[in-house]
Amino acid sequence: MSTISIERLSKSYGNFMAVDDVTIEIPTGSVFGLLGPNGAGKTTTFKCLLGLARATSGEVRFDGKPLTPDLFESISYVPERSVLYEWMNGAEHLEMQRRTFKRYDAARAKQLMDLFSLDSRKRVRAMSKGMRTALAIVMAFAIHPETLVLDEPTSGLDPVNQRAVLNLMIESAAQGATIILSSHQIGQVERAADHLAVLQNGRVILAGAVDDLKSDRKIVEGIFPSETIALDGLRRDSRIERIDQSGRILRLTVTADGGGLAETLSTMGAQSVRIVDLNLEDIFLNAVAPGSQTADVVEAR
Amino acid sequence: MPAIFTVDPRSGVPIYLQLIEQVKRSVALGVLAPGEQLPTVKQLAVDLTVNPNTVARAYRDLEHDAVIETAPGRGSFVRADGVAKQTRAATDVAVEAVTQAVREAKSLGLPAASVRELFESALTRWFPEEK
Repeated sequence: MSTISIERLSKSYGNFMAVDDVTIEIPTGSVFGLLGPNGAGKTTTFKCLLGLARATSGEVRFDGKPLTPDLFESISYVPERSVLYEWMNGAEHLEMQRRTFKRYDAARAKQLMDLFSLDSRKRVRAMSKGMRTALAIVMAFAIHPETLVLDEPTSGLDPVNQRAVLNLMIESAAQGATIILSSHQIGQVERAADHLAVLQNGRVILAGAVDDLKSDRKIVEGIFPSETIALDGLRRDSRIERIDQSGRILRLTVTADGGGLAETLSTMGAQSVRIVDLNLEDIFLNAVAPGSQTADVVEAR
Repeated sequence: MPAIFTVDPRSGVPIYLQLIEQVKRSVALGVLAPGEQLPTVKQLAVDLTVNPNTVARAYRDLEHDAVIETAPGRGSFVRADGVAKQTRAATDVAVEAVTQAVREAKSLGLPAASVRELFESALTRWFPEEK
């Protein structure tokens, strides 16, 4: 069981900052989702976290202590690109786990192989992308890890098996494991994660508890009698992240107190005001591409 | 116990709030009887494929609202202290529904008088015995 703290982590390759001053805290028993466009720095963050790449600056701590070899016994890492051996079959990969990890549980491994309908005699060479992902997942969970680092853990899996992977994460988290995962499938993070961070160009651009991000962020939309709307007061309002006006329609993207701002718009003379909930995908897209929801007038702060 | 709740993770409404609303509704409707045991946090998290901490947060808020109580080591139960709590849970659900309906009507540009009329006709329809 461990709390993972990533403190002011940076990693550069030459002049390229792959990870730029990232600070993330992952509490014990938490499922932490790392989101971001391709090349945002997710995989590099994982590599630094696991000591597979040397950070340029900053540090990673497990329960306040730096990563030491004995911790590897309880950490499972599923990398984005499969590290399976083409010429070996499923049983041989599991045998490798058994020899490496004292915590390896053969009965659990068997159960997991059955869950994903994997044939332990089949060589990796003959496996589909989804079967390879499933085998990597079986290897990861068969050691009852306390920490799981999962880089795109459902790629190539069909919806049934994707759900099975999510449930394995949820069961492990309920037993106190700490999980950090990256995924392009925002819906999965929305289900399984309690906390998340969005990375872009190596930096954290949004972070928080998933439910809080959803509670706080709303769109407040008002329809006014004319196109002349006095925006001065709104421009200075710290609750408002973004103001879009399209003719008589004014749309505020707010980070807090949607109800209060809805009243403000009514007071300003809006005939009709509504508050629109944002799902994680909206919040994510807003964060990584603030100009994407185009309007006639965009006034980003 | 089959999953008696459902959540829509893709909705903009936080999952823990969806769960709270559904437990209150079930208590109000008597689907969950006073004293009845709720699924454990882990069980419900797995049944619904949602984060266990999210379920735990919903249970904590429901305890705080005196809808359920948790006995350490035994589980969470619908509070047995009578009809008042159920009524309160029902009221919470109804208040939310009415608020939303009024907000919606207002946002469509209806004046208060028309909204009142709509309510009167809905009342007449659903409470015919009281007219």
